[in-house]
Amino acid sequence: MSDLFVRKATGLVRSWSVMDAFVYALFSINLITLGLYSFSQMYYFEGGMVNALIVSALFIFFEVVVYAALISVMPRSGGDYVWQSRILGGAVGFILAVTGWWFILWLWVPLYGDMFRHIVLVPILGVLGAKDAALWFAGTQNGAFTASIITLIIVSIFITLGMKTYARIQKFSFYGGMLGLLIVIVLLLTGSPATFKAGLEANATSMFGAAPGVYDATVTLGTNAGAITPFSGGSFSAVFLVIPYLVFFNLWPNWGATLYGEVRGATDFKRNVAGMGWALAVTTLLAVILLFAIKQTIGWEFYVQAGGAWWNYAWGFSPDAPALPVWPYPALLAAFLTTNKALQLLVVVLMSLWWFGWSGTVFLSSTRVIFAAAFDRLLPEAVAKLDERTGTPINALLMMVVPSVVVAYLFAYNIASFQTLTLCSTLVIAVTFLGTTIAAIVLPYTKPDLYKASPIAKYNVAGIPLITIAGLIFGGFLVFLLYQWIIDPNALYGIGIKNTSSIYYMLGNYVLAAIIYFGFKAYRKSKGIDLNKVQAEIPVE
Amino acid sequence: MTTLFFATDVHGSDICWSKFLNAGKFYGADRMILGGDMTGKAVIPFVHQGGSNYRITLLEQVFDAANEEELTDLFKRVRSRGYYPYMTNPDEIAELEKNPDRVSAIFLAEVLKVVKQWMDLADKKLEGTGMNIYCSPGNDDMDEVDDIIRASKHVLLVEGQVIQLDDHHEMISSGWSNRTPWDTHREEDEDQLKVRYEAMTSQLKNPHNAIFNIHVPPHKSNLDEAPELDKNLRPVLAGNSMKPVGSTALRQSIEKVQPLLGLHGHIHEGRGTSRIGKTLCINPGSMYEQGTLLGAIVRLGKNKVEDYVLTTG
Repeated sequence: MSDLFVRKATGLVRSWSVMDAFVYALFSINLITLGLYSFSQMYYFEGGMVNALIVSALFIFFEVVVYAALISVMPRSGGDYVWQSRILGGAVGFILAVTGWWFILWLWVPLYGDMFRHIVLVPILGVLGAKDAALWFAGTQNGAFTASIITLIIVSIFITLGMKTYARIQKFSFYGGMLGLLIVIVLLLTGSPATFKAGLEANATSMFGAAPGVYDATVTLGTNAGAITPFSGGSFSAVFLVIPYLVFFNLWPNWGATLYGEVRGATDFKRNVAGMGWALAVTTLLAVILLFAIKQTIGWEFYVQAGGAWWNYAWGFSPDAPALPVWPYPALLAAFLTTNKALQLLVVVLMSLWWFGWSGTVFLSSTRVIFAAAFDRLLPEAVAKLDERTGTPINALLMMVVPSVVVAYLFAYNIASFQTLTLCSTLVIAVTFLGTTIAAIVLPYTKPDLYKASPIAKYNVAGIPLITIAGLIFGGFLVFLLYQWIIDPNALYGIGIKNTSSIYYMLGNYVLAAIIYFGFKAYRKSKGIDLNKVQAEIPVE
Repeated sequence: MTTLFFATDVHGSDICWSKFLNAGKFYGADRMILGGDMTGKAVIPFVHQGGSNYRITLLEQVFDAANEEELTDLFKRVRSRGYYPYMTNPDEIAELEKNPDRVSAIFLAEVLKVVKQWMDLADKKLEGTGMNIYCSPGNDDMDEVDDIIRASKHVLLVEGQVIQLDDHHEMISSGWSNRTPWDTHREEDEDQLKVRYEAMTSQLKNPHNAIFNIHVPPHKSNLDEAPELDKNLRPVLAGNSMKPVGSTALRQSIEKVQPLLGLHGHIHEGRGTSRIGKTLCINPGSMYEQGTLLGAIVRLGKNKVEDYVLTTG
């Protein structure tokens, strides 16, 4: 639109910086937290890690296109909830939104807590010489539960501070975290396998009380655990079978996308694609570089074996405790390459910023969905209440925190095999994404007027709308993931029909959402408010 | 009991206006209130290319119309987003680029033309229904809009007035806002807003049962969260940094008077409800570009809000 004929009016803002969108998306597919955490668990696959990273990124790029397109057609609308409600109906929109953006985040809390102890608490305490505290956090159920509680406290503080402050914490964390990652990569690329082995022996024993011979013992335990995942290569099918685990890390470049503001034209669609797309590409590239650096100095086989040794014991498959008594965190292992304590501390502190800049996301999206549901009268008004003094959404926060404490307890003490549910955290959100993707596929056909008057109306491939094409590709990818997770024909992911705990947990989420939706709908109807009508389109003529 | 329907910030969208006119019957409301900002934000030139061919640039995409049918379709697309079509030719466009005053005049003429059409449509549709629309133009609406509304039979201009909405509830109305980065038509400093509000609240006979139909939301009500902008009006941190931009004078007035209900708009992404003391404040938000009429149905009891719900029509 030429600015010649645009007047000054409220809300007519310029496009946001692609760099800012890039930072937010890059933190959402967080290489250090989500990435390293999942890589370490993926020790038993036959497909190459690098191949899987690249192939999955190619498919996830279509997710970026789908979400950027939906933002262009229906900006500032509240994201998945509104898109699905308007295109697929209120029940689908509500159930998929509250399960994917609220309930399942309860399960993410102990996962965030687990990453918090391994990436923040244990390395910093270890480097500072607080061996007993580090080992307590690293290796005990009480330590795991306490880490989750601290996580809840930190995240609640972020909510209290508000988005404006947290966005600045994220920006600072981005630059600090990137500096830390650069130092780690330099340490790894300038080190050697011999110096690493010596550094590991020296530091693992002094910091964490490991027995001498920790390297060889780890190799043995990892080999016994079946650690085989190659750095690269593998057959087509083997590579594809790695991806359902890998997407725990990289399925989220769209996480902040629903916040993106007024879209004034096709340029803004391209900017959205660029912000999220470059974050996906750069994160994938950084992952390959980091894994290559690990391969050069730590040794790929040792890295995979250390992950196998840790998780094989943690998951209860082996009674043999890992020789390295802390999670094999590559940044900490890189810090072992130097004897300079100050540099070691700098590395682990800077790298901890990857967690702090990312962790607030666990509740920020959830509180938005809770508010939206309350405004639609599908939850009591009180859940959207703000504290008069601080503006904190106290009740919404409680609706996140209280169930999260329960789930964190179940997870930390592995009650009902809760620790096997890790990938449920991804599955339930993938179902929500699938709902949105289906909405995107049908949008040009079910809402033609809305689509034709949007900034993406002219983007077609062979006469078919780009949003439909991208949706079909990404939707197909999601269906593949869901099949592998739920049916799990090769017994690789530990959830789905072979894990009754996971089925009960996930079904419980959907049943609870359905009860809330239909229960409140009936209640409102008894009070004279027909929620079907208030969400129905008013006739124009 | 009185059931009112409130919508706001329709910004020139024909679809939203038509839906608003039908909303009373659709939702069973007996009072209709339109918040401010009824005028659109852009004119789209339809540039004659010779013969029956026209070219437009809509949302940075070029569309061509080669016949009457395609031209009608493009008109519809432009109007559905609240923009104003303007038939022109390359020579006039070249001239207008050198003459911003003439552009402003064209803009105003197009805006007023549509407001007049809307008033005519409202008078036609509401005739015989016993229904009126209470309207107070917002900060984005030019002053010239008021005279056209005044001439309407069923759309009542209530800016700055205290009106008796029903037997129990009075309503004060204003479309004026606190300062914005866009220097719009009806904005002023907070101390001036305070005077404006006091001029109305001082006339209320039963303030606790009153309705504040005020375009701008109260400060820090969660209905006024907008993306923080830099000096170039660019959202900082990809729109993730939100800040309250509502009126502090209005908040003070609500805290002091404690009316029954506040009806607000202005911040399109601020859809929601909030309580300030005993006052229920509502901002239904706006999705006018998508032809979706966001609104609120409120059922007023004698001394309380019996129930309410936000609508997506």
